[in-house]
Amino acid sequence: MKKNLFLVFFVVSLTFVCAGNEVSGQQAYPNKPIDLIVPYNPGGGSDLAARLLSTYFSKAFGVKLNVINKIGGAGTIGLQAALMAEPNGYTILMDTHGLGSMIAFYEGKYPIDWRKRTWIGRIITEPMIYITRIDSTWNNLREVAEFIKKNPKKLRFGASGLSGSGYAVGVQFFNAGNISVEELNVVMFQGAPEVIAALAGGHIDFAAQQYSQATGMVQGKRIRAIAVAGSKRLPLLPEVQTAEEQGYATLDIAGYQGIAGPPGLSKEVVNFWAEALKKASEDLAFVQQAENLKQTVAYLSPETYEQFVERQYQEYFKLSKKTK
Amino acid sequence: MSTLTYLAQGFSSALSMQNLLFALVGSILGTIVGILPGIGPTAGIALLLPITGILPPTPAIIMLAAVYYGAMYGGSTTSILMNIPGEISSVITCVDGYQMTKQGRAASALAIAAISSFIAGTIALVGLSFFAPLVVNLALKMGPPEILGLVFFAFTMVVSMAGRSLLRGLASAAVGMFVSLIGLDSYVGATRFTFGSTVLTGGVDFVAVIMGLFAMTEVFKDVVAETKLISNVHLPPWHKMIKLSEIKQCFWSMVRSSFLGFFVGCVPGVTGGMVGFLSYEVERRVSKNRNNFGKGAIEGVAAPEGANNAWCSGSLVPLLTLGLPTHTAMAVLLSGLMIYGLQPGPLLFETNPLFVWAVIASMYIGNVMLLILNLPLVGIWTRIVNVPYRFIAPMILLFCFVGTYSVRNSFFDVATCLVFGILGLLMGKLKIPTIPLVISIILTDIFERSLRQTISMGGGSLEVLLNRPIAIAFILAGIIATSAVLYLRSHLRSGEVFFEGR
Repeated sequence: MKKNLFLVFFVVSLTFVCAGNEVSGQQAYPNKPIDLIVPYNPGGGSDLAARLLSTYFSKAFGVKLNVINKIGGAGTIGLQAALMAEPNGYTILMDTHGLGSMIAFYEGKYPIDWRKRTWIGRIITEPMIYITRIDSTWNNLREVAEFIKKNPKKLRFGASGLSGSGYAVGVQFFNAGNISVEELNVVMFQGAPEVIAALAGGHIDFAAQQYSQATGMVQGKRIRAIAVAGSKRLPLLPEVQTAEEQGYATLDIAGYQGIAGPPGLSKEVVNFWAEALKKASEDLAFVQQAENLKQTVAYLSPETYEQFVERQYQEYFKLSKKTK
Repeated sequence: MSTLTYLAQGFSSALSMQNLLFALVGSILGTIVGILPGIGPTAGIALLLPITGILPPTPAIIMLAAVYYGAMYGGSTTSILMNIPGEISSVITCVDGYQMTKQGRAASALAIAAISSFIAGTIALVGLSFFAPLVVNLALKMGPPEILGLVFFAFTMVVSMAGRSLLRGLASAAVGMFVSLIGLDSYVGATRFTFGSTVLTGGVDFVAVIMGLFAMTEVFKDVVAETKLISNVHLPPWHKMIKLSEIKQCFWSMVRSSFLGFFVGCVPGVTGGMVGFLSYEVERRVSKNRNNFGKGAIEGVAAPEGANNAWCSGSLVPLLTLGLPTHTAMAVLLSGLMIYGLQPGPLLFETNPLFVWAVIASMYIGNVMLLILNLPLVGIWTRIVNVPYRFIAPMILLFCFVGTYSVRNSFFDVATCLVFGILGLLMGKLKIPTIPLVISIILTDIFERSLRQTISMGGGSLEVLLNRPIAIAFILAGIIATSAVLYLRSHLRSGEVFFEGR
């Protein structure tokens, strides 16, 4: 008799616990923890940005962000999970270039309708630098371009995947120099560290990678940085010229991290997040922490974010066509 | 200041109460993470990363590092006792380890795993302390062609582990290769074998496959047969279970595996799964006890377990000397360093010597802690295994599902696990060995990648290999090894089996 009573009590309380998770009530958003989906490995750029936000959100708003790594398919698994979630604001996507602008390189073969989402805002951009082997003799981008022209199929260009910003940055340079990808050897690796290691070991000759990933090796004199993509010199590499200074004014691709959600998110949710991102971008501690990770805080509002990504996508799409 | 002086300073810092405490906490957590199948040190470290917001850098990184190498100690436990790999690098430990359990020698296996982990781990730490710059330069010279050679050599294991029928072994490996190719390719983003399904675009997670083939199948088989794991009635206390003679027998295995694991750990692009196979295969060719491999040879446990610990320390070499993470767990550790504003890179030893040497010194201490932790546990584990199977089986299933799910938060992976569990039963009935499938599924990915990288480097042909003597040496070793195995197989007397296993 007592055993049965206990069992009944146990089952009933279990039911309440489960049901309790569903009750969000009429309180303002957010009133329970939010799942922030990162479609990439822990320790990567998106994951770090997500953790930065998570720390900030709990400090500034008392809101808990659960960073969930849903890995696979170069980001498609996590993207799919986020875009197909219930649009109640409790599943949000840590958006990045690999899930938006860089899809241009997949040329219509991408398995998901990536534009069907709620755009919320950008928070971070990642500066990129052009790097070469330590024993290379090129002093600037122009000399690299000349080398390729004079020696077709000799230069080995390393990249960390089609949807990685390194590939796009490289391709933008080749395009500006009227070089087709056919004239060099593209070697694909998994992630920036492998590319940088291959460069340091002399297995490839040229690459473009994130400032955050490559600076250590540049300072340690294992690889050389010959240019910064864009028009602003970088704090830890003050002697490296920008692409603009070298005469390549159009090379401005940067990776980015932003926030997006499943289609149909309510205005309340979007406004909360847009406000939160804006506040984060103005918070000194947040900016400092981002700089520790060598990321640049660069806020964009929901509408401008969508336009930004679409613009970058169109650019890459043109590039992917030209370099064939 | 000489290295010894730095190391001494590191020890004085690592021996502070706070650092000792966190080394212990990390070691315990790491052991638990290693024991739980499916959940690896990467997940463990990622979960604990918020600790960087609370603690100063030294104890935090000491703890995170301890989780990492602690997992290598714990990973062998379920592999040996239940044929369920706790860690990808412990997959091959299941082969001889579980055989030893069935022969009632579980205690010896567990003990030698702990001791080998300690000895190899410590030797590798010495390598890290004194030879890191030298080794890292050598390791960087290993590029895609060399990795291709290494994987090629490791692949020859398929032939030696094929069991009675070579054809069945190769078929099993082919299935593994097929499953491994499902998903997106890295050069043009083409979908392969996805049949239009988005989920399959993400590929089949090999952890789920291995959990299914090992744990699920085992549970299904044993539940049907109603076996108990072992039926020892009287067990002596733990210190009587460890035989000095066995340690002496494995001494050279441990040394060999430590050098191999350490060096392989320094090379970017080589995964933990490969390390176990490589050390097992090398040991099998060199050891005097080679005929017993697969039937419960103790060196078959000592070698991979030592190698994976040495690999741990080896992977810290590129991280600390160059700021290069060689795999995901290292990347998470790296992000921990970056969160503190430390600049990982070749200058880390110069800008933060106290911190780096404290962490290194703490690792020596952590290894001692783990040895002291794990040896008495041998007694406990061997008694737990006496619990009737009907209690253990549901626990195994639970850990299996949770572990598989935790890899990428995906129910598809859990379904994969189930499917391969059933497939494992089928394969058992058809007498198709499962080990070649496992070897294949782990190695195919790296093999294809390094092959394509090598071809791209050479502008479309394999001619780049002609200038890479190390790569050629590995490939030749693989060819010779395979030929030797094939020769021996064709000369077997009837009734004698070259490798008896799963």
